[in-house]
Amino acid sequence: MATEVNSIFVAAHELKSPLSLLRQLALSMDFDDEKSLKSTQNRMIQVSERALRQVNDLTKINRLEDGLFTLEPVSVRAICDEVTSELRYLYRANHRDISEKYTNKSRLVIANRDLLYSVIYNFCSNAMHYSDEGTKAEISVRDKKGRVEIVVRDFGPALPIKIWKEMKHGWLKEPTSVAMRPGSSGLGLYIASKFSKYMNGEVSAVRHRDGTSFTLVLPVSTQATLFGD
Amino acid sequence: MSLTYVIEDNEIMSELMTRYLRGITEVKVFHDVISAISAISTDKPDMIFLDVLLTGPDGFTFLNEIVSYEDTAKIPVVIVTSLDLKAESLKNYNVVKIIKKDVMIPDDIKNIAKEILRSENA
Repeated sequence: MATEVNSIFVAAHELKSPLSLLRQLALSMDFDDEKSLKSTQNRMIQVSERALRQVNDLTKINRLEDGLFTLEPVSVRAICDEVTSELRYLYRANHRDISEKYTNKSRLVIANRDLLYSVIYNFCSNAMHYSDEGTKAEISVRDKKGRVEIVVRDFGPALPIKIWKEMKHGWLKEPTSVAMRPGSSGLGLYIASKFSKYMNGEVSAVRHRDGTSFTLVLPVSTQATLFGD
Repeated sequence: MSLTYVIEDNEIMSELMTRYLRGITEVKVFHDVISAISAISTDKPDMIFLDVLLTGPDGFTFLNEIVSYEDTAKIPVVIVTSLDLKAESLKNYNVVKIIKKDVMIPDDIKNIAKEILRSENA
């Protein structure tokens, strides 16, 4: 019960931020001229889309228990490309950047497309939030002993040790408390953790002196060999 | 002209705050506590608008830092946050007001800035 209440509290707080921002942007329109009105409108769209994505992810968690997400061969590079192209604009607007490095030969993994997209999106979005201004996060995909490893590396403050410890020993059992979690990483990592587990994947985090790497390892689809991959 | 620090890691919010304060005071924006602490000894502000949940060290780290130095301890601080903070918990710092992000209006920022400057000049 305590865990459930804490999770609801964290989710509510997480959604309070974009709603406050939207309200503030709407109020600021009183000061806008025609040119800046367009920019405010674009920002409102961005903020609401991010919040909607989070709400969608939260509703998916509930559906995981019903087993409604099919696992099938999915192209991991294509999904990484989609995520980075969606987020690149936001990265640049925040004076950061993201690059891709693909060395994997196994193109297909066993996963659910929507869930995998959400996990990679959460990792990359988290990396943007925690990267220092002017830095370039990196998403890399490589083969690892019959599995595929997706790593998102950021350059900024390292992951709080409490979250790192929990990820080291398995999964995030609940979103982290607001008090120890600056910004907005807790809920995103919790969602990523849940979705990865459903896809028989493993998530982990490595703390660097100058940032954090988040890793998702997924089983390779044997179907890949049929295409000569 | 007076100088105000806005310490806020959200780009949109810091821009909006800067806009609200335009014409009242010069504004310097910091997206993290470390850079604000680095700047404060050489470029002392007349007031500070401070978010609490920041990337890296949080707003309380900043408050502890400035209150520990004689030349910054008395700088008026306005907390702008989504958290439900009680004024009582901040009584050891020079926090003059807590503004809740979810209910604030642009005039809240403008009015408190004017009020602080008025009381400084009185």
